[in-house]
Amino acid sequence: MSVNVAIALAGREWVRFIRQPQRVLGSIGQPLLFWLFLGSGFSPSFKPPGMGEISYLEYFYPGALLMMLLFAGVFSCITVIEDRDQGFLQSVLAAPVARFSIVAGKVGGAALIALFQCLILLVAAPMVGLVPSLGGAGLLLLGLIVASVGFTALGFGIAWGMNSTSGFHAVMMVFLMPLWMLSGALFPTAGAPLWLEAVMLINPVSHALTLIRAPFYADVPQLFSNGGYLTALAVAGLWAVLCLAFSLWRVGRVEKGI
Amino acid sequence: MIDIDQVRHVYPGGRKTAPRTALAQLSLRVAEGELAVLSGPNGSGKSTLFRILTGLLRPSSGTVRIGGYDLFADAARARALMGVVFQSPALDKHLTVIENIRLQGALYGLSGSLLTSRIEEALDWSDVKTRLNDKVMTLSGGLARQVELTKCLLARPRLLLLDEPTTGLDPASRRSFQNTLARLHAERGMTVLMTSHIFAEAENAGRVAIMKNGQLLAYDTPGNLRSKLGHEMIVIRSNALESLEGKLKSEAGVVKLRRYGDELRIEDVARDACLPLLERLLERHRSDIVSIAIKQPELEDVFLHVTGHHIDPLGNDAEDLVA
Repeated sequence: MSVNVAIALAGREWVRFIRQPQRVLGSIGQPLLFWLFLGSGFSPSFKPPGMGEISYLEYFYPGALLMMLLFAGVFSCITVIEDRDQGFLQSVLAAPVARFSIVAGKVGGAALIALFQCLILLVAAPMVGLVPSLGGAGLLLLGLIVASVGFTALGFGIAWGMNSTSGFHAVMMVFLMPLWMLSGALFPTAGAPLWLEAVMLINPVSHALTLIRAPFYADVPQLFSNGGYLTALAVAGLWAVLCLAFSLWRVGRVEKGI
Repeated sequence: MIDIDQVRHVYPGGRKTAPRTALAQLSLRVAEGELAVLSGPNGSGKSTLFRILTGLLRPSSGTVRIGGYDLFADAARARALMGVVFQSPALDKHLTVIENIRLQGALYGLSGSLLTSRIEEALDWSDVKTRLNDKVMTLSGGLARQVELTKCLLARPRLLLLDEPTTGLDPASRRSFQNTLARLHAERGMTVLMTSHIFAEAENAGRVAIMKNGQLLAYDTPGNLRSKLGHEMIVIRSNALESLEGKLKSEAGVVKLRRYGDELRIEDVARDACLPLLERLLERHRSDIVSIAIKQPELEDVFLHVTGHHIDPLGNDAEDLVA
């Protein structure tokens, strides 16, 4: 029953998304243009040490995917604030529904939307010569799911108590943009100052990026024997669990008198 | 069906605001199958009580039981018994009518053929049957309210809670909504608790509760409430209110004289004494009187009577209706 509730709520997110073509266009267009412009502009001067003949378009591609995933997922959570504002949320809260179903429905729906957009951008992968093996593609999908759930849940947990969409926008931009920039999406970690390298290490976004970048270049056995990949998988997985727990805690709290 | 026992609610204050008591040891019972209306001036605690009843707010102390289940300890079972129509529309405007209804069904664990038959049953009385595939944002206010009610009926609630459901509706839609509600109540034997400050709506209720400053001032049938004011009263408007009030106090036959805003009311006049008293007053104070009338007490008069003369125990500043 609680699974059905979650599916119904996620389905609603999806229908709302599809009915707003400008939302679809905007969320795909931004990372695509970002990738094309930055990629083309930086390519001639991009010569990272020890990375061979990799073009910037190729280097930046997983970063662009991650950007789309992050921003689409997190900003889909703005609808939480709208739902509260417009009254829809109160009927959900007054229904005999497990609180986890609400989190799962909303986060699941938003993560699904983010994944869908990612899959569209994935069509461009072969153009920069990125063709993962079949097993690699499976792990790529796993990485995308783990990353989208984690960051969408973070957005949900933060959006839950807020009452202004512009406030949420501001908070998330301050929070997300630096995390993404310091993840290695824009420039490689190797050769960066030590403090920056340390920040990149504890940054969950950089681990999510590893989950997305590595499967393009290696097959399943290689990845599973690679300490860096396994660490990234563990950190990103833990991050997703923590963010879901945070969201659940937020939803479970009922305003109480003193 | 609803058993509110000694519920107190204090909103925590902010840095610059003091804590505010919204409900003070309020107890109220609504019997199974009753149609009760909860009324009170703005800020009386109606909305707080409603939010507590829907489980969106936890009171500072006291218990609320719905159909015997504690609303907070046994939330899922208590909630399964009730349907709620909120004051602000709880519909997704971007979805169609039927999509909204189906979503609500899923929230209450309905699916498949059961959901289909429940939808038919719930739509039975409504006028939205021909608009099922239209988006909610294209509906009129009255129709949108019908969709809300339909949604609530899906789960066959034994208790229907409505928060000022007719706010924003034109008189015709309001009447139609009221008739529907009365019919559903009669046909399905549901318990209904509705907040409202439209007194015409309360006339058909089984019982009317009047709240002020977080307290229950009266809870009785409309008939009993009206009889508190006696049979008839005389209502006088004047442009020399103060002096007329002084003069009237010494008149024979004037027992209960009260001032409500810009009116003077002589309440509780014996049935046959009204007309002679009116004639006598008119004869003696013609120059001070703008209008004078005999009135049967209505619920609104009871409301004025009850709320206007209450001494505030909480010390909250309230706009007393009595000057």
